[in-house]
Amino acid sequence: MTILDEREGNRETAVNPKLERRARRRDAWRGFFHAAPAYLYLTLFFTLPLIIVFVFSFASRGRTGRPLLEGWNIDSWTRLFEPLVRTIALRSFWLAVLNTALCLLVGYPFAYWIATRRKQATRNILLVAVLIPFWSNFLVRTYAWRMLLDSDGYITQFGEMTGLWGRLLFTVPAVFLGLLYGYLPFMVLPLYAAIERLDWSLVEAGRDLYASGAAAFRRITLPLSRPGIVAGSILVFIPSLGAYVTPDILGGAKTTLLGNYIVTQFGAARNWPFGSSISGAILIVMLAVTVFYFRSGGRTL
Amino acid sequence: MVGQAAVTLKGVTKKFGEEVTAVDDVDLEIRDGEFFSLLGPSGCGKTTTLRMIAGLEFPTDGSVQIFGEEMGLRPPNKRPVNTVFQSYALFPHMNVEQNVGFGLRMQKVEPSEIARRVGEAIDLVRLSGMEKRAPNALSGGQQQRVALARALVNRPKVLLLDEPLGALDLKLRQTMQLELKDIQHEVGITFVYVTHDQEEALTMSDRIAVMNEGKLAQVGTPEEIYGSPVSLFVAGFVGDMFFLPGEIAEAGAVRLAGGQIVRAKTSSAAGTAVTLTLRPEMIHLYASRSELPPDRNTLDGTIARKIFYGDSMFYEVDVGVVGSFDVRVENAPSMRRWEVGDSVVIDFHPESATALAE
Amino acid sequence: MTLNQGAAARPWVDRILAINGWLVFAFLYLPILVVIVFSFSASPNVGIWGGFSLRWYDRMFGNEQLMNALRNSLWVAAWSTVISTVLGTAAALAIDRYRRWLGRGVFDAVLYLPVIIPDVTMAVMLLMWFTQVNITLGRLSIILAHIAFNISFVAIVVRARLANMDPAMEEAAADLYASRWQAFRRITLPLIMPGVLGGGLLALTLSLDDVVITSLVQGPGSATLPVYVFGLIKRSVTPEINAVSTLMLAASIFLVLASLAFQRRGERSG
Repeated sequence: MTILDEREGNRETAVNPKLERRARRRDAWRGFFHAAPAYLYLTLFFTLPLIIVFVFSFASRGRTGRPLLEGWNIDSWTRLFEPLVRTIALRSFWLAVLNTALCLLVGYPFAYWIATRRKQATRNILLVAVLIPFWSNFLVRTYAWRMLLDSDGYITQFGEMTGLWGRLLFTVPAVFLGLLYGYLPFMVLPLYAAIERLDWSLVEAGRDLYASGAAAFRRITLPLSRPGIVAGSILVFIPSLGAYVTPDILGGAKTTLLGNYIVTQFGAARNWPFGSSISGAILIVMLAVTVFYFRSGGRTL
Repeated sequence: MVGQAAVTLKGVTKKFGEEVTAVDDVDLEIRDGEFFSLLGPSGCGKTTTLRMIAGLEFPTDGSVQIFGEEMGLRPPNKRPVNTVFQSYALFPHMNVEQNVGFGLRMQKVEPSEIARRVGEAIDLVRLSGMEKRAPNALSGGQQQRVALARALVNRPKVLLLDEPLGALDLKLRQTMQLELKDIQHEVGITFVYVTHDQEEALTMSDRIAVMNEGKLAQVGTPEEIYGSPVSLFVAGFVGDMFFLPGEIAEAGAVRLAGGQIVRAKTSSAAGTAVTLTLRPEMIHLYASRSELPPDRNTLDGTIARKIFYGDSMFYEVDVGVVGSFDVRVENAPSMRRWEVGDSVVIDFHPESATALAE
Repeated sequence: MTLNQGAAARPWVDRILAINGWLVFAFLYLPILVVIVFSFSASPNVGIWGGFSLRWYDRMFGNEQLMNALRNSLWVAAWSTVISTVLGTAAALAIDRYRRWLGRGVFDAVLYLPVIIPDVTMAVMLLMWFTQVNITLGRLSIILAHIAFNISFVAIVVRARLANMDPAMEEAAADLYASRWQAFRRITLPLIMPGVLGGGLLALTLSLDDVVITSLVQGPGSATLPVYVFGLIKRSVTPEINAVSTLMLAASIFLVLASLAFQRRGERSG
């Protein structure tokens, strides 16, 4: 028989049980060394800068606007509650929320339409057609609206002629239009991915169990595409909240958003600690949103 | 050829983390030239055992020896074994020829020698003419052969196969079983074959190790495993089996639930609760006891159901508290037909029944 | 492959979806097309067609500042792409192929952050850090900043590719006598190449497009093309900007198509 008779005797020749631990440790070092360059780099040029934002937000303001590493205080944080800051923050927040909602409203039927084309080839072509604006230079795409909305442009002329709108450039609606245009592709792609992955036999099963088309959509399709909805919303909401280019080009002085307001603190306003506290606040909101996303079962963005 | 130890496992244990013990203190000796199968349900540790022989995992404790040589922490590329992976793991960016020649190129074998041996290996698995094909352009069966050739071309001392036929359909699987057996015979290498398919293990192997929950349940030839299972697990896992509860009445006799006493092979002492195991093909139906010699085991039953299967009839025989038996009877002209409600006598030879304690 | 019956909507629903679809496409493309068309207009007045002309392209190539910005852009993009691709690929391998090592969990989280953090905060963070540790603002600081956000994007793309690769590939290579380096060089790298190239192209695009971060960490004379154009746009709208914009759009479209081609190739071989 093969089961060894002298088992106890053979024990002596058995190898050292520490071997496996040594193999595991060797593997762990290999992993660490692969990550080390990127790890070091991100520590130096991401994590430490991230920390310094919070440190500087408690510093006092020097003559040139730079932080003085003395006289630590919380003035920069209390300033966040000033009426002007509150107005700008609320405007940014609502604009971001509204933009996310509108992107979802326009993007969902759009993504659904692409994802439900019968032929794979058709879907691919339509998808490439979405990818091109997605990858196209953001600045140029924003500039396109700056040009279209120019005071002697056709859109302005048409609005004035029909009396529907006046000059749009440098108003909140113009910024809103720019944000929608800028971030719509960010919403469509994750939605498309979620809807295309959907197991349609589940919808069929729903219909088979007497759900109307609308009910099947609401009770089956919509919940199943939730990961795409959440991912798309985050991809639109976070950059909308920190938007800088769009309000700078399409909005005037009266439509300052948080992004521009922060940059101003590092330029004309010369108040780095205050800029830090606003950035810190945005970071906290952003982290909260992201944690919420991962909690709600999302995996990748 | 068969005799010397090809692979020796001594006290091999593999733990994943603190809780999971995939392989638990396994002692095993696989002989040179054997077709040896590791058989068991999924999660029984058979694949982990194979991977420890290959060097893809290292044991938490114990020793793995290949032809007497201690493997320790030796990486897979320094072991005299090759593996046929369950997913085949063919390199998609290389054609058939490049896939098969990969191992030889890594060993820096002469190019002319590589060409010759790759050609031979491709011939061996009957894939001549497909040398330049991409793996993705091959059928499942062909991919399986490439994986086999890719491993065999290196002339390993032991070939490890991890459920190599699992992804194929039934018919192709049966053809490949025969072919694998032929190839093993031709190359004369030790095959260690992991499978969860008991029929596959029975038809192909010289010896089988049945594993359950990380432990060896039984090691033996297919006849031993099938005919004399040592535990209820092996009895239930390999082949079809009837299980009848009872207790040992006296040496060699079992009292069944209805009080009937039958004779059976057993090693348990009187009074022990046992389960009598019985292969379906060992059961025959008769109209009365007078048709039988006196030394047989018999039970009285009634036909409860019959199903026509074309080549055979299928009878469900009700034997009261003892249980019910599904009996298949070949549809030969000489065979007797039964109707539902008929009284019958179930007959089985004492040698074909084994009583196993829990 | 065709879709299941379940996806089919009623005809009128489908028609509304189609109308919405084409309207969205019009919304996405018309503004870009207008910019491209008017870049060929002879009229100095933006938005008024003055006949076909290439004069704005001529003027663009004669603009020394603009050409300098273009050179800066290419320099920065090249370096940051190469470095972030190497570091990001190694990071993806570390996370996907090695399950346990000190700090893996933290690294995994930190690796995602630069992707979701708003540009403005990233810009401000880096500006303060560079001033604090006395790194002169200029091309170097721009490259350092671009690498910082690109590593993450490369790592995510490569990781997706690695996740689709059968780990048995590397085991098979090792089983067939390949050393660790040979297994990486001959098996892993060729198989994840589409991901590495795709990640690299994404890094290149992001680097060529970035306005916000670059404009904060730039120094005198180191403005990249988008930053320079951003300054022009804020001053006034000129047909020359249309020409530059068209050039930048062409570059973007070229990069999308290239990355799709790589992906395609990857799907066929993977």
